Amino acid sequence: MTPGKVVLDVEGLSKHFGGVQAVLDLSFQVREGEILGVIGPNGSGKTTTFHLITGFHRPDRGRVHFLGRHITGLAPHAVCALGLCRTFQVAKPFPDISVHRNVLMGALLRHPDPAAAGARANEVLERVGLDGRAQMAAGSLTTIDQRRLEVARALATEPKLLLLDETMAGLNPTEVGEAIRLISSLREQGLTVVVVEHVMRAVMSLSDRIVVLDQGSKIAEGSPSEIAANPRVIQAYLGKEYQGA
Amino acid sequence: MKRSLTPERYVPAGILLFLLVLPYLLPNPFYVHIVVMMAIFAILGGAWNIISGYAGQLSLGHAAFFGTGAYVSTLLVNATGTSPWITIWLGGVVALVLSLPMGFICFRLQGPYFTIATIGLAEALRLLVLHFREITNGAQGLTVPYKGNAPWLLQFDSKMPYYYIALALAIAVLLLTRRMERSRLGHYLVAIGQNQDAAEALGIDSARAKRRALMLSAFLTGMAGVFYAQYTYVIHPDGAFGLGLSIQIALVAIVGGVGTILGPAIGAVILELFIQSTQILFAGQYPGLELMVYGALLVGIILWRPRGVFPLFQRGYRALVAWLPAAGRAGP
Amino acid sequence: MELTTFLQALITGILMAGIYALVAIGLTLIFGVVRIVNFAHGEFVMVGMYLSFWLWKLWGIDPYASLLFTMPALFCFGVLLQRFLLQPILRAPDLAQIFMTVGLSVILMNLALFLFTADFRSVKLSYSEWAWRVGGVTIPMTRLFAFLGALLLAGLLTLFLKKTDLGKALRAVAQDREVSMLLGINPQRMYLLAVGLGAALAGAAGSLIVPFFYIFPTVGVVFVLIAFVVVILGSLGSIEGALLASLIVGVAESLGILFAGADLGLVVVFAILVAALIFRPSGLMGAR
Repeated sequence: MTPGKVVLDVEGLSKHFGGVQAVLDLSFQVREGEILGVIGPNGSGKTTTFHLITGFHRPDRGRVHFLGRHITGLAPHAVCALGLCRTFQVAKPFPDISVHRNVLMGALLRHPDPAAAGARANEVLERVGLDGRAQMAAGSLTTIDQRRLEVARALATEPKLLLLDETMAGLNPTEVGEAIRLISSLREQGLTVVVVEHVMRAVMSLSDRIVVLDQGSKIAEGSPSEIAANPRVIQAYLGKEYQGA
Repeated sequence: MKRSLTPERYVPAGILLFLLVLPYLLPNPFYVHIVVMMAIFAILGGAWNIISGYAGQLSLGHAAFFGTGAYVSTLLVNATGTSPWITIWLGGVVALVLSLPMGFICFRLQGPYFTIATIGLAEALRLLVLHFREITNGAQGLTVPYKGNAPWLLQFDSKMPYYYIALALAIAVLLLTRRMERSRLGHYLVAIGQNQDAAEALGIDSARAKRRALMLSAFLTGMAGVFYAQYTYVIHPDGAFGLGLSIQIALVAIVGGVGTILGPAIGAVILELFIQSTQILFAGQYPGLELMVYGALLVGIILWRPRGVFPLFQRGYRALVAWLPAAGRAGP
Repeated sequence: MELTTFLQALITGILMAGIYALVAIGLTLIFGVVRIVNFAHGEFVMVGMYLSFWLWKLWGIDPYASLLFTMPALFCFGVLLQRFLLQPILRAPDLAQIFMTVGLSVILMNLALFLFTADFRSVKLSYSEWAWRVGGVTIPMTRLFAFLGALLLAGLLTLFLKKTDLGKALRAVAQDREVSMLLGINPQRMYLLAVGLGAALAGAAGSLIVPFFYIFPTVGVVFVLIAFVVVILGSLGSIEGALLASLIVGVAESLGILFAGADLGLVVVFAILVAALIFRPSGLMGAR
């Protein structure tokens, strides 16, 4: 699929906490229909970047444009309403209510009538393979199912751009394979996806392009094969665990 | 398809009928007073439940809304002779308006710190009411002048009309809660109560949802305050704005079951029975004993039945309904 | 208004700030380690006050001497509380944690009411009237002693937390429970210690103010509210923040009483809280 127009434009984002510079002058673009991978060693600012883009933190400097609209500093719910949805690195289910109701919460955004939202939730649950566990309390799900639920909830908001934060952490190889298939299928539906991951095999096979962060700055950008051969990238990862298939 | 008289239909109808004739079944006005108080606390607990039960924003400052309604109405009635049938709405509205700055300030905090802020604001209001005694008559409180039987002034000789008004309000709160629970707002409040960040990430405007829930809650609480003032003819700052009242309101919903429609009503019945029993047992001789028992009840509920009595009630109700026969032909 | 009147209020506020700091630090300690917001903390102060009062009334024991009794007594009380009432609900949702300590607060307040009646009690000592008169300003010795006692105890606690192994273990649990377990620290023991210490400090504050404060069953409510304002203002868990915030709160209350009236002192304190929440929600020390 040939990438089209720019849907997300991140320009010069910077953020510091106390004395620590979490993100420094970060710029990149995401094009319609692509899957962009974001990788980097621990502490390189990947999740912070998501927080900055989706309004959970205010950047010190820099701008974010989504579908041509200036969204820097908007509240998270406003960002989601515009079509940019994110999942959390540590899953945040609504533990005491059912899986179905969890997803319904997301569906209510575009389908204010709870009955219609409920129907939509059923569709999404089927897509991600959770329909068998729809009535279970979300707090009692296994890790991989909780990840599925995170994705399902986000999908229910009918986003145009989906930010997935380390969806595959801790999954076994079979589960990783399933996750890769699910995320690829999202692209077929017209979704644009940004994936933050440590699981190299997944990122390499999924992504059209990859952005590499280290200590808050972008150190490389390119196709998976370019990145794999990039000496700076290899150096950043030297001594760090290489999670591969 | 024939409409059949299944237990699911006739049991609630039966309960409603029972509630309607209840005052006539009671031996003397004192008992009617007890059920009026039950109804009042059902209203208060139900109103609290909207913001604190569903959305998990645990307020211990609801007395602020109660007292505001009571004072606004009584001052208006005393100064201008306006009918309380009108001022009850005004009291609710003023309480609603109060909830806007109160929410704006308090919602900046989460969890227990939100609770502390509500306590602080309610206390501050109580102190202010005590302070401006030229307007509020300070610690002595306000009285509604007794006019005998004056229905247009919401005053009745007998306790019965009060009972029916309170019952109507309590049922209204139940119906409103049910409507809200099934609406988008209701779902959103639950999401916010479970995990506000996750809710925000799904496009839920948590600030707006909380604000609306608090407005509704405050409005209903304010109305209850007006009714209470009319019913008891006397209000004063410590009772109407006090932390003790706020705790009692919360306790009603907690004992009954937060986040459920019927929980607060059940809690109100249980709590009022509790109060009356302890008053009979200790005959008011030992100051503080009654409230100590209250506190122990709260601690006990938290330790052993944090979801309140509602799950038990629900099981019992379902068993009852399953056991009872359907009258007439059971249709398909 | 005369300068001396203003200075008098200022000094009273600063002296009282010491006590507020002591109470707030106990509250912060419990929250930092056990992660429970203790609504009954003011009742710890109240219990300390009544203990000191009765020790004086029955056996003529000086309130400052009674510290030797009230502090251990409240320490044990805190430990029992944690073991039997708080431990079961450590993982429970907010509602359980909040209302457990609220319930406890109601029980304690009304127990005091039941046992001792609502009568206001006070203690008369040979040195109750001693004061230092300096340039038109009167500094009552009892208030000064309370301030110094509070500072001393706060200082001892800080030393304990920074220099002793036990204190460091406490801080470790406060920072990261899982990691501290890996280091061989038993979190349950640390919880007991934290609540015990927090209660002991609050009880000490009670004993320290008995020489100049009325004792009555609901006296704790004001202290817990002020302590919360101090903790929120001082950024939820920072001891330096608590000290600075208690200074602001103490002085604000005192000046509030001076300008607005004795009954509105608390309102001024809340006004400060509201201002803080509007303009700087993360407190004096900034975002954590």
